[in-house]
Amino acid sequence: MGSKILPKWASKPCVMGIDEAGRGPVLGPMVYGCLYCSQSYLKTLSTLSFADSKTLKEEKREELFETLKLNDSIGWDVDVIDPRELSAKMLKKNKINLNEISHSSAMGLIDRVLKMGVLLTEVYIDTVGDAGKYEMKLSNSFPSIKFVVAKKADSLYPVVSGASIVAKVTRDRALREWVLDETAENMQRNFGSGYPGDPQTKSWLEDHKHHIFGFPSLVRFSWGTCNSYFKDAAEVLWESDNLDEDGGGSNNKNGKRQLKLSNVGFTTSKRSEEIESSGKGRCRFFQARKLEHLTYF
Amino acid sequence: MLELRLVQGSLLKKVLESIKELVNDANFDCSSTGFSLQAMDSSHVALVALLLRSEGFEHYRCDRNTSMGMNLNNMAKMLKCAGNDDIITIKADDGSDTVTFMFESPTQDKISDFEMKLMDIDSEHLGIPEAEYHAIVKMPSSEFARICKDLSSIGDTVVISITKEGVKFSTKGDIGTANIVCRQNTSVDKPEEATVIEMNEPVSLTFALRYMNSFTKATPLSNTVTISLSNELPVVVEYKIAEMGYVRFYLAPKIEEDEEDTKPQV
Repeated sequence: MGSKILPKWASKPCVMGIDEAGRGPVLGPMVYGCLYCSQSYLKTLSTLSFADSKTLKEEKREELFETLKLNDSIGWDVDVIDPRELSAKMLKKNKINLNEISHSSAMGLIDRVLKMGVLLTEVYIDTVGDAGKYEMKLSNSFPSIKFVVAKKADSLYPVVSGASIVAKVTRDRALREWVLDETAENMQRNFGSGYPGDPQTKSWLEDHKHHIFGFPSLVRFSWGTCNSYFKDAAEVLWESDNLDEDGGGSNNKNGKRQLKLSNVGFTTSKRSEEIESSGKGRCRFFQARKLEHLTYF
Repeated sequence: MLELRLVQGSLLKKVLESIKELVNDANFDCSSTGFSLQAMDSSHVALVALLLRSEGFEHYRCDRNTSMGMNLNNMAKMLKCAGNDDIITIKADDGSDTVTFMFESPTQDKISDFEMKLMDIDSEHLGIPEAEYHAIVKMPSSEFARICKDLSSIGDTVVISITKEGVKFSTKGDIGTANIVCRQNTSVDKPEEATVIEMNEPVSLTFALRYMNSFTKATPLSNTVTISLSNELPVVVEYKIAEMGYVRFYLAPKIEEDEEDTKPQV
């Protein structure tokens, strides 16, 4: 993660690029990477052959990554988001969608670098969702930083090109070194690119699905891709499903997600903080002593 | 000691009929200013806020702020036993675990006394954020109820869009689509039959019709309904209660599911 000791150039105005790798695959982590340097170093940075990681061969990306790690004028960091975390968030009762996960990861990187003491004044980032809203969200969280949120930022801005290399190489290495938690016969690692359209990936998914337990945790089982593999699998009934149905919870059948009041600013607080305890409705012992249940201290 | 006497007892009957479908149990809060209630439905998607101001009661005695937990279905059953013209009095002693409803016929020749057990409801006080609404529609409540009922036979969500031209209610379902547009009309003879739209910004929001139909149970309370909207905020559907208060329903909107969630681009 670069030098722990803050370099001198970091106390001068700095610029950061942020990019992501592994958003679309059904396998492996999504990685957010950032790269930052002083404003005065930008011109030099643009001569270092960084380019959008998608346009580079793997050997070139690896070489460039090693180069930037050795470069004392550059700082970098990554946030590696495990496929289990992605699936858990996307499937939980109060769903967190992939865009929100992306936004949080990017903001986490900025926060981490600021806390190191780096004087960040500008951040360039590829857009996720609506660029204007994303920029507003970022500016609200970090008012002192100027943000440029744009499509194809990884091609347009060298700091973002560099960040894309950081993210891509980190993801590739994580996948290459992935240790499958599950043990079974015929567990293979030849899963290809990990994209849903890759025949090798499809074949791997078919070979590694389990009738009851599903997929290895390498797989993002929240992806729609996974559904078609389990037409014949055992059905699992969850107690909380009934609660959801009874309460008319999130109803997705028409493609729109029902918000709850808490999503739109309504708050709750313990009533007993405001109203004298009365012990009402309970047996004489509690009424006489004005005792109430406590659910937290 | 709590003692509230309401000459127009039918108002209380109508209030209970309008909220009991949404909320099972709730705390009624009594203070010197009035009799009020705030509760969310079990899925926390909708909220009802009721206020009956103390001035609206013929007699209002409330020695201490108090909170009474009631099962609304049971309360509605009790109030059903009151005649439409009866005077209703609500009584409770401090620290009591029951509440008494007294119904007097107009000529005082029949007096009924019903005592209901109170509940210990561990509910929370709700903070309703201050909001400025970009569009406010006031229209006949029977019209609004009819629109919600008609649309729910076609689809299960309604898109309410407000522009200069008027307010449009749209839905679509398996059998097709439906659109109902109400234009502003203020030239009618009776003011309660007018549709008035104040708009400083166009608004378009999607809501579950099931909740909207539930809200329209309050139609008997008022000839008019006020619908307040801002993008990304809950809608407020408000019915006035004679000169003494209101019942307001808040409903969180539905948002487009982000298609990138589960259908990543290859």
